[in-house]
Amino acid sequence: MIHVKDLTKSYTDLRRGRFVALDGVTFDAFEGEIFGLLGPNGAGKTTALRILSTILRPTSGSASVNGYDVVTQSSAVRHQIGFVSTNTGVYDRMTAWEMVEYFGRLYGIERELLRERMDQLFARLKMQEFRDVLGAKLSTGMKQKVSIARALVHDPPVLIFDEPTTGLDVLVSRALLQTIAQLRENGKCIIFSTHIMREVEKLCDRVAIMNHGRILTAGKLDQLRSQHGEEDLEELFFRLIAPADDDGEPLEPTGHAAGAPGADTLVAPRPDLPDVDPAPSAARGGAES
Amino acid sequence: MSWTNVKLVFFREVRDQLRDRRTLFMIFVLPVVLYPLLGLSFFQFAQFIHKHTIKALVLGAEGLPATPALIEDGHFAAAWFTEPDEPRLVELTLPEASPSDDGEAQAADSIPRSLEEAKRQVRAGTYDVLIYFPPDFSDRLVQSRAQIAGEAAKEGAPAPARAPPDLLAIPSPEVYYNSALEKSQLGYLRVLDVLVHWRAGVGRTNLEAGGLPPQAAEPFRVAKHDVADPGRGQSAVWAKVFPFLLLIWAMTGAFYPAIDLCAGEKERGTLETLLSSPAARVEIVGGKLCTVMLFSATTVLLNLLSMGITGMFVLSQLQHIGPPPLLAIVWLLIALIPISALFSALCLALAAFARSTKEGQYYLMPLLLITMPLVVIAILPGVELNLGNSLIPVTGVVLLLRTVLEGNYWQALPFVPPVVGVTLVGCLLAIRWAVDQFNTETVLFRESERLDLGLWLRNLLRDRDDTPSVSEAVFCGVLILVIWFFMSFALPAPTSFAEFAELALVTQLVVIATPALLMTVMLTRSPRKTLLLNRPAVLAVPAALLLATLLHPVVAALQLAVTRLYPVDSRIVEMLSGIFTERHPLWQLVLVFAVAPAIAEELAFRGFILSGFRRSGHKWRAIVLSSIFFGMTHGIFQQSLVAILLGIVIGYIAVQSGSILPGMLFHLVHNALRISLLHLSPEDLSRHPSLGWLVQSASGEGISYHPAVVVAGALGAAAILYWFHRQPYERTAEEILQDAIRHNSAAAAAA
Repeated sequence: MIHVKDLTKSYTDLRRGRFVALDGVTFDAFEGEIFGLLGPNGAGKTTALRILSTILRPTSGSASVNGYDVVTQSSAVRHQIGFVSTNTGVYDRMTAWEMVEYFGRLYGIERELLRERMDQLFARLKMQEFRDVLGAKLSTGMKQKVSIARALVHDPPVLIFDEPTTGLDVLVSRALLQTIAQLRENGKCIIFSTHIMREVEKLCDRVAIMNHGRILTAGKLDQLRSQHGEEDLEELFFRLIAPADDDGEPLEPTGHAAGAPGADTLVAPRPDLPDVDPAPSAARGGAES
Repeated sequence: MSWTNVKLVFFREVRDQLRDRRTLFMIFVLPVVLYPLLGLSFFQFAQFIHKHTIKALVLGAEGLPATPALIEDGHFAAAWFTEPDEPRLVELTLPEASPSDDGEAQAADSIPRSLEEAKRQVRAGTYDVLIYFPPDFSDRLVQSRAQIAGEAAKEGAPAPARAPPDLLAIPSPEVYYNSALEKSQLGYLRVLDVLVHWRAGVGRTNLEAGGLPPQAAEPFRVAKHDVADPGRGQSAVWAKVFPFLLLIWAMTGAFYPAIDLCAGEKERGTLETLLSSPAARVEIVGGKLCTVMLFSATTVLLNLLSMGITGMFVLSQLQHIGPPPLLAIVWLLIALIPISALFSALCLALAAFARSTKEGQYYLMPLLLITMPLVVIAILPGVELNLGNSLIPVTGVVLLLRTVLEGNYWQALPFVPPVVGVTLVGCLLAIRWAVDQFNTETVLFRESERLDLGLWLRNLLRDRDDTPSVSEAVFCGVLILVIWFFMSFALPAPTSFAEFAELALVTQLVVIATPALLMTVMLTRSPRKTLLLNRPAVLAVPAALLLATLLHPVVAALQLAVTRLYPVDSRIVEMLSGIFTERHPLWQLVLVFAVAPAIAEELAFRGFILSGFRRSGHKWRAIVLSSIFFGMTHGIFQQSLVAILLGIVIGYIAVQSGSILPGMLFHLVHNALRISLLHLSPEDLSRHPSLGWLVQSASGEGISYHPAVVVAGALGAAAILYWFHRQPYERTAEEILQDAIRHNSAAAAAA
């Protein structure tokens, strides 16, 4: 379904010079599974997912979705995916119904089929009561539901969720996670990024732990536990990302996503990446399935 | 490209805009309210304009003759004004006593009596005008009349034999005004008018005194009649006003929606949603463009309508301007489509570049600054529609519209194709630019960074690539132009050949080669790749030499055609002919005007700048853009046009051969041939009859190639260019990527 190989993305940044947001990332994800990308803010998760959804172009390396190359066949890729992120906003001056309908029509779905599918979607996501409310008047949770309905309206084989629970209350995020779990039952290939360990434990079949643009380790949750001899995944996560962050440099607060669990202790990517790869064998490890 | 998607985006954006109160206000409410309000304030304001009175101080008016009287009851006599209400508008101040000679005796009131004090007061603005009659002015005036009367009374010789009397010299009355104050200038003109009329009156009285009828001084009057049809006369006024207003409305009407549609979408975070949807970038831009066009056109129409309704009421008060003829409005509506398309595309591209709506608003001023001169050229008096003007974007449309509004349909007709063509090309380029903006990550996901010059410079030097970036190429081009601009002002204009040659060499070495070479060393890691310092294929060198030779007749013919279309300013021709008075050795000319440019210009334009533009991934765009910079350094517009075309050919050779050398040789040979052709005189031609099959001598236009030679050259050049086309050229990484994308989208479209 999704094949990512040696994906690298670098930006020019005045302060940091050539800043590598994504550094040779390789992974695969298959249908009927939820693949988690776990990492602190600035680990490169959003960059990777933006490349997969054809919004950004990689500096080097390749990625394909359902056999289509994200750079040279971007139009075909966009038909294969539904992309939800904190950055995919909802139009202020459109109602929930109009918004989903608009994107459905852009995907070229027939009017009859679209109506049918939207009725189902709105029922399933419990969006009936605010279907005619303008985007500007919707709460964060409602907006997120609209975004998910928008991503599902064309029934894509691949769904990409970039930190979808950010800013949601406990009830809404719980419902959201349940929805995502249901989608796996329908045979979708789902990529899910988060910085919250519990969400990964609850949802993901396989996970890649990222920091500073690299994958530190990847595999099934049980494999990771036994491989690193650590039962508590939260501890495992901290242990993996600690060596890279703990080499005497002063820590800078990230500034954004304050209030997210663990965000305060985590760091933004620093000017120079450490030369020593903390987990060389696992870093470039693809899926072991 | 799917039209369904364009339509979908269009309908969504229109609905979105119609739900925005700000847009509704700007587009629909403002014009409807604005013009009645403007009309109202016009009437209010008009009262003020007419009530301005001029304060004039008159010194030395005491002894002025009673007939004809200049001043009656403390005012200028009504007889000296053209309009009946004007006497009220000049308020005179007349000091009681004549100024004393020592200038000290001043009355208790502050009325100045001495000339010096009065001048001071005019300078200070207390009085608008000072009229000073010198002490013996009145006496001389009276005496001269007596003299005339005396001469007339003399009896004796018959009139023709009588010598004209030697009249007394009368000193000039003086009018002082302050040109720094507008009111004072106005006062000066009014007072002057009165004095001139009065002088004529004095003259008539003198004639009467001399026994001649007053008509002798003014034997006839000139009667004026306007033969323009009433409609045409009015449309002449509208022909100047409408195009100007149309452009302003079309631009502002496009600007605000464009900002909301692009920068606003970035700001509200919906851009990423849209970009991950299946709508292609070109479809998104297409839909947005249609929306912006709709709002631009609606703004124009509503403004026109509202202004028309208000105007009907206001104009009924003004006798000399009638309402615009109906036909003028129809033409205006036709012109609306290309104009709003052009501005919509431009605004969209600018708006896509802006990070936020606030940043977007900043771009209105540069846009206006660029557009306004183009509009102003077209409405200047004396500027007429011709092929040259019609090829200038915006100016051509306005001129065409103006000509049509004036009723000269047949005169306008031949220029419709060039104007439409240029506007269409402009639209397409602007649309391309907008689509490119939507394809550029750095534009879409620009984040504001703190401006730190030191950091930025260090970053430039530290993170160098093999070849320069697109923006570095633009910077190099602009830098060359700016240095060149200032140098052409700083250095005196050349008057001799030696100075001209020196200037040309300095321009090549200092202005063109040095910045490019410095930037290559400082900003790139591989001077070899940047400046294309590669060994070309063996055949590329002779091919380039042959191409230059074959193409030269074609370029010379083209240059001639361009000069006929846009004649070179006679001052430039004079200056150049002043320099080339004598014949200089050919080798000197070749060295200065062929060898130096071939090396310097090639290094800059086909080296640094072309390599930078090629990083965009579009070979042809890189060639054309670098050629435009190349053309712009040629100073004289007529040369620039041809230089751009030549630049494209040389750029193509450089890309296809992967080396700068063939282009340099092409440039060298081309310039050398050009100099030789100029160097050739009709005497040479008669001395070497063998040249007769190649060139001909036409009177007035010097020596040119035979048309057959031009055609043969064009055919030969096409063959060689085809050979270059067949050469496997080395693509940049970006070009490989763009080719792959094109290939796949073509495959997808075919499937």
